[in-house]
Formats: sequence, structure tokens, C-alpha cells
Amino acid sequence: MVLTENGSLIFRLRGVLEFSCQLDSSNETQGQSAICKSFQALRSRVSSESLVFTLCNSSVLLWPNKGLQSTAEHLTEGTPCRDIQQYREAEDGGSKKSKRKDKRDAGPSVVNLKLLWEVTESGESRALSLCRVAKQQHSARMPLCVDCVFSASGQDSLGSVCSGLVGALCGQLSDMEEVVLKYRKGSSLLLPQPFHFQLPESSGLVTVIYPAGVPDSQLLTVREELHGKYGLPSDRPYFRRANAFHFPDEAYKDGYLRNPHTRLTAPNVEEAKVSVVRGVYSYHHYMQDRVDDNGWGCAYRSLQTICSWFQQQGYTDRAVPTHTEIQQALVDVGDKEPRFVGSRQWIGSIEVQAVLNQLLGVTSKILFVSRGSELASKGRELANHFETVGTPIMIGGGVLAHTILGVAWSESSGDIRFLILDPHYTGGEDLQIITEKGWCGWKGPEFWDQNAYYNLCLPQTPKTI
Amino acid sequence: MGRGYTVEESVEKYLTSLSAAAGSCKTGLLIGQCSAQKDFVVLAVKTPHRESEGASDSRRVLGPLDDIDADWVAEHARQVSRMLPGGVNVLGLFLITPPELSKEAQNKLKGLIFAVDKCISKSRLWDLSEDDVTDRVTLHICSKTRKAICKTYDVKDPKCSAKPADWKYLSCISSSWPVLTCSVKVDLQIPVTESSSEKCMKHGLGRWAKQIEAGLCLINGRPASDDSELLSGSKKSTKMSQQALQVQILVTEEDPVQRCSAVVQASSGSVHVRGTVHCRAYIHTNKPRTRHAAQAIKRDVVNTVSNRVEMLLEDLQMNEGGPASEQQDLPRRVFAPLPGSGLTVCDYMFPDETAADVAERLKEMLDWESAEEDIDTSVESPADEGRDDGAAQDVPIESMTEPVKQQKTSQYYAGVAVAAAVALLATATSLLYLNE
Repeated sequence: MVLTENGSLIFRLRGVLEFSCQLDSSNETQGQSAICKSFQALRSRVSSESLVFTLCNSSVLLWPNKGLQSTAEHLTEGTPCRDIQQYREAEDGGSKKSKRKDKRDAGPSVVNLKLLWEVTESGESRALSLCRVAKQQHSARMPLCVDCVFSASGQDSLGSVCSGLVGALCGQLSDMEEVVLKYRKGSSLLLPQPFHFQLPESSGLVTVIYPAGVPDSQLLTVREELHGKYGLPSDRPYFRRANAFHFPDEAYKDGYLRNPHTRLTAPNVEEAKVSVVRGVYSYHHYMQDRVDDNGWGCAYRSLQTICSWFQQQGYTDRAVPTHTEIQQALVDVGDKEPRFVGSRQWIGSIEVQAVLNQLLGVTSKILFVSRGSELASKGRELANHFETVGTPIMIGGGVLAHTILGVAWSESSGDIRFLILDPHYTGGEDLQIITEKGWCGWKGPEFWDQNAYYNLCLPQTPKTI
Repeated sequence: MGRGYTVEESVEKYLTSLSAAAGSCKTGLLIGQCSAQKDFVVLAVKTPHRESEGASDSRRVLGPLDDIDADWVAEHARQVSRMLPGGVNVLGLFLITPPELSKEAQNKLKGLIFAVDKCISKSRLWDLSEDDVTDRVTLHICSKTRKAICKTYDVKDPKCSAKPADWKYLSCISSSWPVLTCSVKVDLQIPVTESSSEKCMKHGLGRWAKQIEAGLCLINGRPASDDSELLSGSKKSTKMSQQALQVQILVTEEDPVQRCSAVVQASSGSVHVRGTVHCRAYIHTNKPRTRHAAQAIKRDVVNTVSNRVEMLLEDLQMNEGGPASEQQDLPRRVFAPLPGSGLTVCDYMFPDETAADVAERLKEMLDWESAEEDIDTSVESPADEGRDDGAAQDVPIESMTEPVKQQKTSQYYAGVAVAAAVALLATATSLLYLNE
């Protein structure tokens, strides 16, 4: 997942601006202009000398509208923007330094800045006055959480980055104004929230403002416009909230590992084309969520991994189902007796297909091989699946279930490797162990039980945005 | 070990002169600064005489100690604490009595100390921190023997008993205290949602005060939030000259509550407080921490705004039912040097007042004669000069009526200076500032 060329930086500025305005409940146009005025006031604040950026985890302060005044002696307008990182690193101590270097190869570094306001001033001052307006009206107040990004190459000057961020901030306030006005009902205002999206074939991030509390399902027309604007296919979601870009420096709060396979190096197969899962999934395996399913839950876990993919690609708002919810769904469709709920019975590919249909409305193709040895000849079908659909595949055979995340397949020789995610792992979320011990790894055709039959469940993606 | 108070020599002279003249009991305030290691008293001022003779005549039979009116002492303390810059506070009280009353004096002082603390902290918009000293000092002086007994009480604990403390005089203790200054821009729009605008104002100002309190403070461009020494850069040789430190305050508008929509309240109007205030704080030279210096100036920022708004509201209460909208100038902050020290005290001057009015108030409240030319009225620009088109622009169209000028000075001043006393002692008000 390379965002931009190496050595590039994402400057991310976050902060809160307090929006407040007085709405005349009886007068629609007054309300409109009062909101516009308040946003105009915020934009002029953003352009004023009192605007301050602070570099997170450092004592560096920058005054972007004051000729880039700074508290760090060596940071001036012309300083290459990458130099700002050293102020952050200096506080971390030496040991982390080397770690960060490793990370830098994986993608762009994120430089986090926070918004501050200087309330002191040195110039013209005006006497303190108090103005009272007695008028029946509604006073509205909300904290606007701004979140702006600016991509830069390391050599770009700090001055240009800061003025870029100020521009982005003003632009974001205008976008917020538009959203607030659009979704206003009388004096009820919805909080505008920014989301960043990374689009395919694009280096930067696109920021979109959505009104809080309005579900994705009601924002279809907005997304249609966005898909049109950026020339994106209309068969898959790009602008749902779940599609929002995940910054590499932010940990996922749920604790599950994401895309462990990205740590692996591609297998050495001549002329092979590597086709892998699209997007983001989380790794579900034995013993997670305080559920001891060692010995029976592998297919449930593989199903959870698939569900997590649909959720994180924005196809569904539904949380990843628990074992009980999976069992209940099978009872609900009439596949199992009610006493199945709470049991420790295995499920197979057909059940996975049924649950996906019942809980997510996702249909799946079933691929059947009577002997494991035949899987080696399914390279074309599998590669095609990952190229066109891109969902993780659940495979069940004998007593084992696995998740297939990709194939490396040579059309000329027929040689094939399978990218396997193994749900039988019982340890902690340690990426190093998982990749080194092969819990996530490339396997040859001998990985499969040559004489057992296998069912593969290939989930299909609904055509939706 | 009890607390140790280092006291400016001029305080000794002042107390001596008071006790020499004393026939009956005398009370007054002790003003200065506390720190972890040392406490400093820089000023003592007697409680002004209350010209309510009719009342006191009937009380006299109860004895001179009962004659001391705790409410009046507390009100004086509140008025005086408005006049103190950041870092300088009312630390306690003195009481001069004839020898036969010495025994009861200590109990009386304890009662007064708690009354004063309650009154001062009532309108405070900031919270005490862990570092804040809650011991208050009392000094009992026998008018005959001149013997002084210094004790402290912890105002956190109403059941506390007196602790002995050390009281010693020294010259020029505050002459080289560094002064921290800044000008803070205020722009607050506060909706009036309840019947009481005062309550809304207090809430609105409280939110702003929290922002300032949590703000990042820079002293001479360096962040001041830790235990580092404020004066580490300066050499010992410069100790005798007063250092001026420039302060910057940076805030965030973070709202801890996550919401989906705006908070909308039906309101009967709004109050817009805007302008720039000049803030000042002093800090002792006994290894002060930057953190404490930052706290002192931030509290001055909050106090100077809330005091002025409070002064105006007190006045508005007296003149309820004005026009629907109006712009009023809040009083300007002016400063006067404290004789024999490096410190200044402040006062608030309304647009139609002069330095002479301020001088008169200093005499009344702080018991000292100051020359009009010593009063520095230049730190905050007068309302008329400073008001530019920007101010008019933001005033809602409906309120573009003529700004209502204040009523006659004397009436206004009386309202501001003693409004709380009015609330407490309505009957006595008319007798307080008899300018006629």
C-alpha cells in the first residue's frame, strides 16, 4: 500500500474550532446568513496571526500566519519540511529511532500537528466592552473537529507546507459550511465530520465532510456525485465511512491484526503472477474474544475474517458476528436445529455461504474438488477471483478450514503457491510469530490433503457504492 | 514546623502607627504571596471605617470585639483582592486589641479568616490546585505591649486549630520581583438562556476560564509548564533590578463531550464581551518555578475579566430594565505603584472617571495617598480611541442603537465599589460613600 513515492510525508493537522451562532427561529434566510457569517468568522480566525500549530510529542510551536515564526531556532520558512521530524524524534530517545527507519520504507511518515490559538497579542488593542442583545432566538454551539492533510515531499519548504495546511483548513471550513447548511432543519444543526479517503491510482488523500448521525445508506447521492467526480467505478464502495483511510501511525483499537500478509515476500515461482485479496481484512483465529474454540472454531474464524473484509470495505455496517450469532443465523435459515446454538459443532463451506447470505446479503460461489491434489489445477479460477472480486476465500476439507488470501500462479508452467491465513493459531497478536511460523504464509500444493475433498466458498461482492 | 512569613519593613511601620493610635480594636488585611518554601507579606491595610454610627451606637454595649463586623471586613477583602495583580493575594488578617482582649482575639481572628476566605472565593472562576497554600495568616497585636502573635489557620478545614508561625521583618523583599505581563484578546458570545443573565454570564465566563487555565503558557517565548526555574537564565548580579517577562498564552477549544449535533438553546438574548485586557503578575525571587508563574498570570487573566463583568452586572442589577440592546464599555484597568516595593496594584476606571477618582479609591481601600500622576492609565486604551469599525460590524443590526453611556460617575462608582455590600447590608449603603 504505497501512498506516494518514498521519502514523502503526510502532514496532518487536527484541532477543534468552536462554532456558535444565533438563529432567529422564525426567519429562514436570517438563519442561513447567520451560519455563513459564523463560518466566515472562523475562516478569518484561521487566517489570523493567532493561529498556532504545535508538533505533537514535541515543544515546537509554529505561527503559520506570522511569517512562520517558530519556537525552534532552526525552523524557518525555507527549512525542508522533513527537518521538523527531528524535533519529535529527539524526545523519543535513541532506541525508537532505528525502528522508525524501518517503518519509513513501508510508507510515508505522518507528521501530526495540533491546532492552538494564541489569545495574547502585542499589537493594537481595543478596550473591553460588553454588548447585550435582548432578542428571542436560538443559540447554537458545536465543536468543529477539523482534520486536514497535506502531502509533501521531504524537500518542500516548511513554509509551503504550513500555508498549504492553512489553505486546507479554510477549504475544510467551507466544506463544513456547505454540509451544515444542506442538512439543517430549522435550528437543528448536524455536526460536520471530515473523513480522508485514499483512491486507487492516486497519490494524495481526498477529504470529504459527512454530517454526523446520517447513516451511509442515506448518503448514496453524495457518493454517486463523488464517484462521478473522481471517475471511479460504480460497482464498489470508495466513499463510505468504513473506507476512510487508516493512518499508519494509528493503532486499530479492536486489537485485531490487519493484513498480516503484507509483511511477506512473494514466493519464488517463475513467471508467476501474484493475485491477492483487495483491501483490508482483520485476522481472526482461535482463542480470540475470550472464546475457547480450539479444535472446532476454525471455519467460524475464517468466516469472521471474511465478514471483517466486507465491513472494512464498506459493504456492510454490521459488526463481525460472534460464534453464537453465526449459529443463530444457521438456525434462522433452517439449516440447523435450535439446540445448535451454543454447541461446539463444526461448520463447513456451505454453512459459511449460508451465513454470509443471511447476515450480509452476500452470495457466494462454491468450488468443489474431490481430491486435494486437484487444487493445484485451479490456478486460473482462483487468480481470476482475486483479480475481479478480491474477497478472501474460505476453504474447508477433511476436518480443517483455512482462508485463502491469494495465489501466485504461472500460466505457462501451471506452477502455483497459495497464500494461506490459518485460523488454527492460538497465540497472541504477534505479527512476527505469525509470519515467521507460517500462520500466514505462502504454501505449495502439497499443503492440501491430497486425498480429501474440499469445498471452497468464494464470496461475491454486491454491485453497490 | 509552622509557616514562616517574611514581611516588608514598611508593614512594621504601618502596624506600629496603627497600634499607637489605637483606642479600640482595629482590623486589616495582610497581602502578599505564598510559595512552597517561604511566604511573603508586602502590604497591610486597615479595614476602612464604616460610617454607620447609628448602628454601632447600639452595639457598643456588646464590647469592642463584637463591634467588628465580619461581613464588612470580608467585603473589604473582596474589594481589595480585585485590586491586586496576579500572584499577589490577601493572605490573612491582623487584629490590634488592648491587652485585656488578647484572649478572645484569637477566636475572633479565626472567625474573620473564614468569613474572608468564603467571600473572596465565592466569585472566583478558577479552581485551587494542589500546590495552593490553604493556610491563612493571622497576626494579633497588643496595642499596649506591641507584642505580635502570628498564627495560621487552614481554611480547608473549619475544625482546624491555630498553628504557630514565624513572623520576621526584612527590607526590600519585593523590589526585584519579576513582573510578567501580557495582553489578552477576549471575544466571548454568551447566550442568555435563563431568566438570570448573571448565571449565564458566570457559566460562559467559567468555560472560557477553563480554557485559559488549561492553556499553554510561554514566558519570554519558552514553554512554562514544568518545575524548571523561572529565573535560571539570569545571573545573581541582576537580582537587584526587576525583570520584565513577556507572556503568551495558547489555548485549544477542545470539547471533551462527543456530539452528533449542535447544542441549541432557546435564549432571550446574548451578551458579547470583547476587547483586550492587560494582565500582570508578580512572582517572588526565591527560586520560583515557571509553572507557578504561569498559574499566577493565567489567574490574573481570568480575574481581570470576571471582575469587570461582575462590576458591570452589579451595576446593571441596580438599573434593571434598560434598552433592549446596548453596548457598554467595561472599566479600564489602571495601575499604581505600591510604595516601597517593585509592585503595582490596579484599579478599574470607568470611561467618565479620572485619575483623581482612582486616587481617592486607593486612599479609601488601601489607605495610602497616591499622586494622580503616579497612576498609569496608559496600559489599556480608552474605549473611544480603541473602538474601531470592527466592533460595530459585529454588533447585530438590531442593536445598532446609540451606545448608552453610563450614568453619573458618582452613582456608578458607588454601585461598583460596594455592590456586594449593598446586597449584604442594604440599609448601610446610603451611608457608605457620602460624597455630598
